[in-house]
Amino acid sequence: MIATIEPELATVCQRDTTLETLLQQPEGRRILSCIQCGICAGTCPYGEYMDFPPRRIISMLRRGLMEEVFQSDSMLRCVACYACMTKCPRGIRLSDVLLPLVKEQTLQRAPEMPAELQRSLQNTLRYGNPMGESSRKRANWVTTSPVPVPILAEIRRPVDVLWFVECYTSYYPRGQDNSRAVARLFNALGIDFAILGNEEKCAGDCGQLTWESGLFETLTDYNMEILRKYKFNRLVTGDTHAYNAFRIRYPMYGFNYELEHTTPFLTRHVEQLKPRLKKPLNVTVTYHDACCLGRRAGFYEEGRTLLRAIPGVKLVEMVHNRMNSLCCGGGGGGMWLDTYFKQKGMDRLSERRIKEALATGADVLAISCPYEVYRFEDALKTLPHARPMRVRDVVELLAESLED
Amino acid sequence: MRTPRPDQVRIGFYICHCGTNIAGALDVGEVVNHVAGLPGVALARDYKYLCSDPGQELIQHDIRDHGLNRIVVAACSPLMHERTFRRAVEEAGLNPFYCHMVNIREHDAWVHTDRQEATAKAKALATGAVRRVALHKPLETKKVPIHGEVLVVGGGIAGIHAALILADAGKRVYLVEREPTIGGHMARFDKTFPTLDCAACILTPKMSAVGAHPNITLWTYSEVTQVEGYVGNFNVTVTRKPRYVIEDACTGCLQCIEACIYHDARFPDEFNLGLGKRKPIHLPFPQATPPVVLIDPGTCIEFKTGKCKKTCVEACADRRAIDFQQREETRQIQVGTIIIATGFQTFDPRRIPYYGYGVFPTVYTALEVERLLNAAGPTGGEVILRNGKPPQRVGIVHCVGSRDENTNRYCSRVCCLYSLKLAHLIKEHTGAEVYNFYIDIRTPGKGMEEFYNRVAEEGMHLVRGKVADVYPDPADPANGRLMLQVEDTLMGRILKVPVDMLVLSVGLEPRADTQEVRRKFNLCCGPEGFFLERHPKLAPVSSYAEGVFLAGCCQGPKDIPDTVAQAGAAAAQALALIVRGYTEQEPNTAYVREEDCSGCKSCIPLCPYTAISLAADKQKAFINEALCKGCGVCVAACPSGSIGQNLFEDEQLLSEVEGVLTYA
Repeated sequence: MIATIEPELATVCQRDTTLETLLQQPEGRRILSCIQCGICAGTCPYGEYMDFPPRRIISMLRRGLMEEVFQSDSMLRCVACYACMTKCPRGIRLSDVLLPLVKEQTLQRAPEMPAELQRSLQNTLRYGNPMGESSRKRANWVTTSPVPVPILAEIRRPVDVLWFVECYTSYYPRGQDNSRAVARLFNALGIDFAILGNEEKCAGDCGQLTWESGLFETLTDYNMEILRKYKFNRLVTGDTHAYNAFRIRYPMYGFNYELEHTTPFLTRHVEQLKPRLKKPLNVTVTYHDACCLGRRAGFYEEGRTLLRAIPGVKLVEMVHNRMNSLCCGGGGGGMWLDTYFKQKGMDRLSERRIKEALATGADVLAISCPYEVYRFEDALKTLPHARPMRVRDVVELLAESLED
Repeated sequence: MRTPRPDQVRIGFYICHCGTNIAGALDVGEVVNHVAGLPGVALARDYKYLCSDPGQELIQHDIRDHGLNRIVVAACSPLMHERTFRRAVEEAGLNPFYCHMVNIREHDAWVHTDRQEATAKAKALATGAVRRVALHKPLETKKVPIHGEVLVVGGGIAGIHAALILADAGKRVYLVEREPTIGGHMARFDKTFPTLDCAACILTPKMSAVGAHPNITLWTYSEVTQVEGYVGNFNVTVTRKPRYVIEDACTGCLQCIEACIYHDARFPDEFNLGLGKRKPIHLPFPQATPPVVLIDPGTCIEFKTGKCKKTCVEACADRRAIDFQQREETRQIQVGTIIIATGFQTFDPRRIPYYGYGVFPTVYTALEVERLLNAAGPTGGEVILRNGKPPQRVGIVHCVGSRDENTNRYCSRVCCLYSLKLAHLIKEHTGAEVYNFYIDIRTPGKGMEEFYNRVAEEGMHLVRGKVADVYPDPADPANGRLMLQVEDTLMGRILKVPVDMLVLSVGLEPRADTQEVRRKFNLCCGPEGFFLERHPKLAPVSSYAEGVFLAGCCQGPKDIPDTVAQAGAAAAQALALIVRGYTEQEPNTAYVREEDCSGCKSCIPLCPYTAISLAADKQKAFINEALCKGCGVCVAACPSGSIGQNLFEDEQLLSEVEGVLTYA
């Protein structure tokens, strides 16, 4: 298998790296070694809609012609899916460093910010979540949980697992399904866990990937301060984007806690879980590799291992799987750019992916990233299909099979 | 410490400017003045290029005119010119080991920037050398005879060519090949670039020449399992795997294959990379050398059940070549030199999952396509897909497993040209539209650019861009048509190219068992895993093991002309040693002072060259001088201090250290 990008690397670049300083840094020297093979442009899901795909950006950067690049809105089409970075034969950290820096400059020069994106970023700054919900309602879902969900500020003792719930899984009904499932699984495994409750704010991954650096640093400073208040052994989150932010960028701000996503975390406990998975689901399932979990972190088999542990699950693969998975289109701010993309005549990536999922004949599309529930359930609504298909997070399927 | 009496020792000290290499970085005159005042020094000089003829003659004249009996040369690394100066000294009538070199270039001038400090360091090193050389003893270089036989490991084109040259020169050659036949990768190729002559037509005459040569002992289906000894005297163990057919009795009539209880060939054929079928008893390919069949015990009914009618044995009749009882055998041989020609393996494209090899049946490796193109191949030379249809559109992806940080960083050198060749041949055989997807087209070498030109003129599509994604064409999923997604980087446009057949131009890799072979023969490997030559420019076929030479792709990717040239060079180097008849051994070996040795044996397991044994009669350690490389491990380890080492005697080393420290 192709080596995944080294996960142990503490930081991908300096906190204050800019396009001006980039080429003098080790990461920038890799950019100088680009052989212009174009695999980045070829693999980019929106490559055909870009005037300046990554290859041309590098070319322009090396010639000092970046201003021309910023004038185009190409970079707004980047959904931070890590496909270009994973396949780059020179190991250039496109999605980690170069592309977000270009995106920041592009947004700064844009005559008009796409409204949907602007609103989400403003909400995140004001309320700590992109939907603009009250921060005091963040932990309300806990009352609907079938098992107790302790909140750190209330229990006032150290815990083993600090569960960082994150926004979609706190506020949106389908996201709460994910949270309730995780609570049940933690409970079944006897994990000593607690959440931050209303003290939690968005980790800011998409702020980071759009390189809205001011917003991102505000969230980082806030969350780091809250985390410092409590004692815990590890931070576990079910949100792949929060996981990504903690893993890739928070270390630049002093984050050095043990970190895990629920999918690999539960996979570590799969043998303990198996005897409790009693209810056969009798479904055919196809698994969608989330970009931040798969390509960026190398967890391809963990989600599949969990699915195979469920009785009555038949696993089938889509054409594009594992490192070649197709993005749902939600990353890098794409979650709030659907209207903008539509205006530009671009097709929706979630629909492309759903077509592949439907072609497998599966009953269930299993996912491991909270963005995807919305994106794929929406795509199923707009795409005509004969055979019904459900979108379920892996944790939801596990909880469904869990004995009472 | 004993100091030599000045009337006994007359040291000549010479410091070399090496142009500006040394004189530019330190004060040569100051070093001369300093050394001239040291005890025992009769004369100190500097000179622009001491290694030149006049430089050497200067030393020789001084030896005669001034009665010098020790020489210190402060110049470059002894690896460069120690031989030169020792020989010059010897010609002037002194024992060559009365000459000692001080490295003030690599160890001083090249690595320091402060002139004063560099000069001081040169003085200190020179002082140490002057002190040490006074204590040198005359030593004799030993000559060890060389066995005239040569072992060639690997029977591809490199091994074949080297073996034939040596055999034609009248030397006995043992050619050991792991597969049942020689021929290697070249035997699988259809035609060769840039001339498009058929690989078999130029290779098989050489193969049969090997098989028929009275001076070549050919052991196929065999492996070298152990190597002991040293240059000139290697003891080699070869294991011969059972082929269940007696080589001397088999005439290659192939009637047994005809008669096999399986009427149809039904097992994947290794020679055709699984694209064709064979029977349990088979010959890898028609021109296999030796033309001896073999039985695969994994598929033969007799081996599996013991209840076969053995129609093959009936067909063989009184030739009685089939022997189900055959066992693995070992052979011991003594050779003087070894040529490693173990070749390469092609990159396994499953490691790049997005090209769909092993997932989509219409994806092939370049080597598989060679077999499809070959008239003796599984399709009789017709390029037809696994679904039985000829392709109308073919894509060839370059650099699969080459120039990629995720797989192999290096360029595999031959893929551009073989891809162009395959494009030409596929078009010739099928009339298909052929697309070459490349990053850069690299065609160095005689006739290569002209070949590129020719293929381009034939109307190949040349697209500059690395294919990024391969998936079934949504418009035509039933026929296995694939869609290739790629940026045409010269146009700056994303292309989606539908093809019926995808050919992956896989790179060349070190063989999977390279490390095992490296240990067996005491070789070194470079960072990419190929065997390392002693010098990239000036010793390209020598390995780091004396008497072991490298030929062909085991040293790095190369095409057939370069492989053959290198094989010839390796044969010439082996021959040079054999013809001289002996090797010289540095006398810096360790020796045992038997009166002090208690026979504790602690040195024996420490010796990396297995040079030490316990003399049974005396119960004392015994060092085989021919095996000793002078590493000094035993000297340092001996608890009773009873092991000494020529040129590295305690008193020599201590006075050298004292000399360096006195100055510092």
